[in-house]
Amino acid sequence: MRFSLVVHVIGIVVRVFGLMFLAPLAVALIYGEMLDAIGFVVATIFTSGVGHLMRQAGGHATEDAVEGMRRVEGLAIVSGSWLLIAWFASLPYMWNGLGQINALFEAMSGLTTTGATVFEDFSLYGRSIFFWRGLTNWLGGMGVIALFVAVLPRLAIGGRELFFAEMPGHDDEKVAPQIRRTAALLWRLYAVLTVLQIAALVMTGMPLFDSVCNTFGTIAAAGFSPHPQSIGGYNNPAAEWVIIVFMFLSGANFALQYRALARRDFRMLANDEELAAYTGVIIVGALLVGVAIWDTTTSGVIRVSLFQVISILTTTGFTTVDFQLWNDQAKAVLLGLMFIGGCAGSASGGPKVVRHVLLAKFTLQELRRTLHPRAILPVKLNGRVVPTAIMQGVVVFFLFYMLTFAICAAVLILLGTDMVTGISAAAASISNVGPAFNQVGPMTNFADLHPVSRIVLTLTMWIGRLEVLTVLVILRPEAWRSGQWRINRSTAAV
Amino acid sequence: MRIVIVGGGQIGSSLARALAADHEVVVIDHDRAVADAFANIDVEFIVGSGTSEEVLARAGIKDARFFVATTPLDEVNIVACAIANRLASPETICVVSRADFLPDSKQLQGLAEFGIDRVLWPEAQLAADIEGVVTAPGAIDAESFAGGLIRLLEYRLDANSSLVKVPLGQLHLPRGSLIVAVKRGATLFVPRGNTQLEAGDKIILMGTPEAMQQVECMVNPSRGGGRIHVTIIGGGDVGLQLAERLELSSNCEVRIVERDAARGEMLAAQLSRTLVISGDGTDLEFLENENVGRSDVLVCVIDNDERNLLASLLGRQLGVPKIVTRVGRSTNLRLFERVGIDVALSARGAAVASILHQVTGGTSSLLAVVEHGEARVLEIIVPPHFESRPLKKIGTPVDVIVGAILRGGEAIVPRGDDRVEPGDRIIVFSRAEAADRVQAYFSGTGS
Repeated sequence: MRFSLVVHVIGIVVRVFGLMFLAPLAVALIYGEMLDAIGFVVATIFTSGVGHLMRQAGGHATEDAVEGMRRVEGLAIVSGSWLLIAWFASLPYMWNGLGQINALFEAMSGLTTTGATVFEDFSLYGRSIFFWRGLTNWLGGMGVIALFVAVLPRLAIGGRELFFAEMPGHDDEKVAPQIRRTAALLWRLYAVLTVLQIAALVMTGMPLFDSVCNTFGTIAAAGFSPHPQSIGGYNNPAAEWVIIVFMFLSGANFALQYRALARRDFRMLANDEELAAYTGVIIVGALLVGVAIWDTTTSGVIRVSLFQVISILTTTGFTTVDFQLWNDQAKAVLLGLMFIGGCAGSASGGPKVVRHVLLAKFTLQELRRTLHPRAILPVKLNGRVVPTAIMQGVVVFFLFYMLTFAICAAVLILLGTDMVTGISAAAASISNVGPAFNQVGPMTNFADLHPVSRIVLTLTMWIGRLEVLTVLVILRPEAWRSGQWRINRSTAAV
Repeated sequence: MRIVIVGGGQIGSSLARALAADHEVVVIDHDRAVADAFANIDVEFIVGSGTSEEVLARAGIKDARFFVATTPLDEVNIVACAIANRLASPETICVVSRADFLPDSKQLQGLAEFGIDRVLWPEAQLAADIEGVVTAPGAIDAESFAGGLIRLLEYRLDANSSLVKVPLGQLHLPRGSLIVAVKRGATLFVPRGNTQLEAGDKIILMGTPEAMQQVECMVNPSRGGGRIHVTIIGGGDVGLQLAERLELSSNCEVRIVERDAARGEMLAAQLSRTLVISGDGTDLEFLENENVGRSDVLVCVIDNDERNLLASLLGRQLGVPKIVTRVGRSTNLRLFERVGIDVALSARGAAVASILHQVTGGTSSLLAVVEHGEARVLEIIVPPHFESRPLKKIGTPVDVIVGAILRGGEAIVPRGDDRVEPGDRIIVFSRAEAADRVQAYFSGTGS
C-alpha cells in the first residue's frame, strides 16, 4: 500500500467536499442566517485548504496517481475518506454548540444515511443547518466517492476500485462499460428522482424547504427530517403516500431501474428475483404490522403500517407515528426488517435482500446435497450461476455483520442501556436505519447515551455503510505492514 | 451430378459411400489420415481446406449441384458454404452442432447472408426424436408431423395385449388412427385387413393426437398418469438439448449424469430444473446409489458406443422399464436392439438420410426415417393434374400406405372412402425400397 497515494486521493476528495458547504451557504444567505453563513465560508476554505495540502503532501503526478491503484489502496481511500469527510461535515454542528462526539455522531449519521440524531431541541438550529443535515443524507445515499468518480476526471481510471469499495456487491450491475459513466448515469437517475419527489411533495402542500429536506432524507434512504416529529408532524397523508413510493424506489436497485428505463423494458423488473423478494418482504411485513397494530390505530392502518415497514426495511427511518408506543409484536417485526435492508445497489443500508436470497438458496442447495451427494448444485440468481467466491463472500459478510452488531450491542448494554435499547440501537446503526426502540425511539434521541456508546455507534454506522469488509480489511496488520510511504518509480513501473 | 463434400468424418463418409455409385463425388478434408477411409470408395479425395478457393476450384465447384459441409467445426462449415456460394451456385447444405448464430435456433432455416440453403443440426434432431420417445409412455418410437397434427408411434406388443390374435379387420381401433406397418422378426410389412398381430411384433401407428391417446390406453392399459422420471447419462450436446426440451414440460423429472466436472457445472448453469449429477454412468455402484433403477426412462447419450451400451445394459439390470440409446456407428444399430435396448437412435444416420433424400429426391420431402431406414415417412403435394377419387380406387403401390391427408389446415386419417384431391398434402408411409415408386406414382396423374 502506498500511503502517499492514499493521502493524495483522500486530499482530492476532501478538497472537493469543501465546496459542498456552498449549498447551505446559499440557504443561510436566503434566510438571513449570517452567523451560519460566515461559518460555512470558513468551513469551505478550511476543508478545501486541508484537502489541498493533503493532495500536495501525497505529491503524486496526476496521471499515475490513480492508475494502477490496488484494491487495498482503494479500500483504504474509501474508508479513510468517509471518516475524514464525516469529521469535516461535523464542523457546522460544532459552531452550533454540539460537542465533538455529538457533532461527529450527527455528521456520520447523516453521511451514512442512518438518520439517528442527537438534536434535542430542533428550534435551536437554523434552516441552513437542517439543509446541511439533509444534504449530507443526499450525498451519502448514492455515495460521495461515486459522485466524485463521476465528476473528477482524475479519479476516472482508478475509480473502479473506489467505486466498488464504496458500493460492494455492485460488480455485476454496471450500466455502462466505463465506471465513470456508470457513476454519472446513476447519479443522474438519483437527481431526477430527487426533483420528481420535491415536485410531488410541494403539490401535496408541504412547504418547499421541508419538501427539499425530506426528499433528501427519502431518496437517500436516510431519514433526517427538519421536523422534530418526522413525517408524522406534517399531518399530511398525501405526502406520506408520496414518500412511501419514493422510499420504495430508493430501496430498489438503481442500476436495475436505470436499465429498465433506458431500454424501456419493464419486464426485467418483473423478472428480477431480488426485487420480487423485496416486494414480498414489504407485503408480508406490512400485513404482520397491520394486524399487530389493528386495535390501537384509529385511522389509516394500511398507510401507517406500509409506511413504517418500508421506512425500516429501506433503512430510511422516517416515522409517521411513534412506533415506540406499539406492542412488542409490531416492534419485533420492525427489528427483523432492520436485518434485511433494501436491495443491493440502492441507497439503503442493511445486509440487503439479495444476500438473504442467496443465503436461502445456498441453504436449500446444501439440504438437497445430502440427498444427492454427487449432484452439482450451483446457486443461481436470475438464472445465472453465482460464483462460489461470491457465495463465500456472502457467508463471511453475514458472519462479520452479526459479529459487529453483537459487539456494538454488548458495548451499549455494558455501558448502561437496557437490553432492548442496546440491541435495537446497534441494529439500527449497523443497518443505517436510525431510530430504534425505548431510550432511542423515534421521538427521542441518542444524546443521552454514554459518550463511549455514541462513539461506538458512530463507528458502527461507518462500518455498516461501507458493508463491513471494506473497513475490516484495512484493519488487518498485513495491509499496513506491506505499506510504505512511496514506492520509487522504477519499481512502481513494473 | 457432381457433389462436393467437405469433411470426411462419419457423415461425410456415409454420404460418399451412398452417393458414389451414381454421382461424381469429391471429398475434401485437410487430414491426410482420413484419406485411407476413402480408399475403397469410388470418390475423388482432395487433401486441403474446404475454405480455400483454390481447393474448391480443384474440386470442380463450378459444376457442382450440391455442396455439403460436414466438418465438426460450425464456423468452418459456414465459411466453406459462403465461399462455395461465391465461386459458383451449388445448393449448399451446412451441418452444425449448435445454432446460436441462427436468428431463431428452434427454426432451422437457411442462412441467406452466408449463401447457405439448408442448415442441418443432427444433435437437435436426435434430441427431438428422443423427447418424443420419452414423453410417449410405452412407445419405442415417436414422431410428430405437420406441426403436431399427426403423430407416429411404435409399440412392441406383448402376449397379454388386447391387440394380439385378432385379425386387423376386427380390431376396433379409435377413429383417426391407423396401423401403417408391422415388423415381425427382421421383416417390415404394411398390414392388410386379414393380418393377425402376434406377441413380439412391433407395430407402427399413425393418427391424430387424440386418437393416439386412446391407442396408448389400449396398448398399455396398466399405465396411469403421473410424472415421468428421466435419467440422462451423458451431458454432451444431445443430453443438454434433451434436458432443455424435457424441462419445458411440467410432468418430467429430469436428472443428467455427466462424468466431467467442468462440463457438469456448465450444464448446471444452463439448466434450471434438471438435477445435474457428477459421476460415471457406467459405474454400477454409483447408479445404484442414485437410485437410477427407479427411473421410468433411461437415456444414454454418451459420445462413445461402448460406454453407452454398458450404461444401457446396467440400466436394464437395475430394472429401468424403457431404455433409449444413442448409437454413433450406424452399423451397430441392430446389435444394440438385439441385446435388449428398446430404442437405439443414430444422430448421424438421420442426418445422412435427410441429406441423401434432398440430394436424390424430388418434390417430396422426407419427414422421418423409421426402423433404421427400413421405412420412410414422406410428405407429397398432390399435383394439380391428379384426378380426384376415393382412396380405395387408387391403386397405391405395394408396401405403401397413405397415413394422412392434410387439407385446409386439418388432418384426415383416411379410410377407403376418403378422397385424395389435387393440392392436398399427403403423408405417406412407405418401405424404403418403395419410396421411389411413391414419388413416381403421385407425381403422375395416378393412372
